[in-house]
Amino acid sequence: MESDATLTVDWAAAEPVYEQVARQIRVRIAAGELAAGAALPAVRTLASDLGVNLNTVARAYRLLEGQGFVAIRERAGTVVAAPAQAPDPTSLAPLWQELREVLLRLRQAGVAREEISTMVESVVAHAGDGKR
Amino acid sequence: MSATLLFVFMLSENVLIGGVYLLYPWIVRKGLLFGVYVGEEGFDAPAAHALTRRWYRAMVVTIVVGIALGSVLALFFASPLAMVVPVLLQVIAFTGLYLWAHAQACALAPVGPPPAAVAPLFATPPLSPLLPALTIAACVACGLFAVAHAWTSYGALPPRVPTHFGISGTPDAWRPKSIATVMLLPVMVLVLAVGLGGTAWLTANAKRALRRSDQGASLAAQLRFRRAMTRFLCGVALFTTLMLTVLSVSAIEVGLGHAATLGRWQMVLTAVMMAYAIGGTVYLAIRYGQGGSRLERAGAATPLTNGLADNRYWVLGMFYVNRDDPSLLVERRFGLGYTINFGNPRAVLLAVAFLGAVLALVLLAAATH
Repeated sequence: MESDATLTVDWAAAEPVYEQVARQIRVRIAAGELAAGAALPAVRTLASDLGVNLNTVARAYRLLEGQGFVAIRERAGTVVAAPAQAPDPTSLAPLWQELREVLLRLRQAGVAREEISTMVESVVAHAGDGKR
Repeated sequence: MSATLLFVFMLSENVLIGGVYLLYPWIVRKGLLFGVYVGEEGFDAPAAHALTRRWYRAMVVTIVVGIALGSVLALFFASPLAMVVPVLLQVIAFTGLYLWAHAQACALAPVGPPPAAVAPLFATPPLSPLLPALTIAACVACGLFAVAHAWTSYGALPPRVPTHFGISGTPDAWRPKSIATVMLLPVMVLVLAVGLGGTAWLTANAKRALRRSDQGASLAAQLRFRRAMTRFLCGVALFTTLMLTVLSVSAIEVGLGHAATLGRWQMVLTAVMMAYAIGGTVYLAIRYGQGGSRLERAGAATPLTNGLADNRYWVLGMFYVNRDDPSLLVERRFGLGYTINFGNPRAVLLAVAFLGAVLALVLLAAATH
């Protein structure tokens, strides 16, 4: 991740480009570097800067919108969404399941419990309590 | 034209053109060598410096030979070819030397995965469209005025109309009046107005090419360069359109018998336009460098990214072809300014439409003269 506020696309990575873009934006939002209401680059501008197809960037933004990180508005473009004030149980169930599976995989890979706990606490603390 | 005047024009022309060519390797963005991305370390390597020195020596020899040839043509034969042959020689030599240097530089390109693409995560405010929009409006207005003036004057013109003027502004060629003969120049004004104004607009929205981890230095340099280039091109569009509009109107007035020559303002406008175009080009090159390279030089140690650094998308270092990239205009790798993305159908269509219109008018002009 760049220390200055930039997105980087690694062409040699196995991860699809749209997922790389979405992941980096998600991490920045979760870390509080992009505040709620902050405008993201226009689809065309970002696609031009990265040299990728418009649909690639649009797909990344749609993915983030589905995950609740951004809001896509017709005229105002794409902005960082405000975090939910109260958790929605129906949307949380798949996230908990995903977290459970990741944690089990980490244990299966031989990662110690303490190390997993430290990592989880660090991520949550860095993201802020209930805030992005 | 006298031999001395011919010699002075020839010398000025060759010094200017040759001088601009000699600037090119000096204003490139660090990492680019004769249209090839060789990396920032490769750019500073002895092999790259040696290649650049050889290119400079060859270009200087070409300029000297051209001037010598032009001097003979001007001073001993007073031939108008003195204005054409040396310049042609320079253009051909420059092209040949560039292709040779490009081939040599390809061998210095790093081997490995393509460079990463980098983009600002925050929304940067676009350059104000006001100046390009006003420029297009003013240029098109001039073009429409020229067309309207010629059209409304057509009936009153005599059976034979002047179609060429000497350097003094006095007509020296006439042709039978026809729609093509009378309307050619005004329509050319309108086409150029749209083309030049449109180029200024597109430049304001051209693709950016940043460096990694430079804390925004390359972005700031790019934006300053684009702003300056847009303003310059707006000026070129306005001066050129105004000059041609005055020419068109004056030519009609001479044809109507209201004036004997084109008038002093024509020469003044032409001189101002040329001074602005040439002076502006040199100023932009020295002050900003290509893509703001001279502004970012202090911090240009980090790798260049995006399409500019990706050799896969460049043909001969001159033609950018990337079908996925929605950009219409991208920075040149060698030279000053921008080039179109030949992989973008819209960009190709715009370029073909403009060049096609100009070519059609030029052929029509040749046919009617």
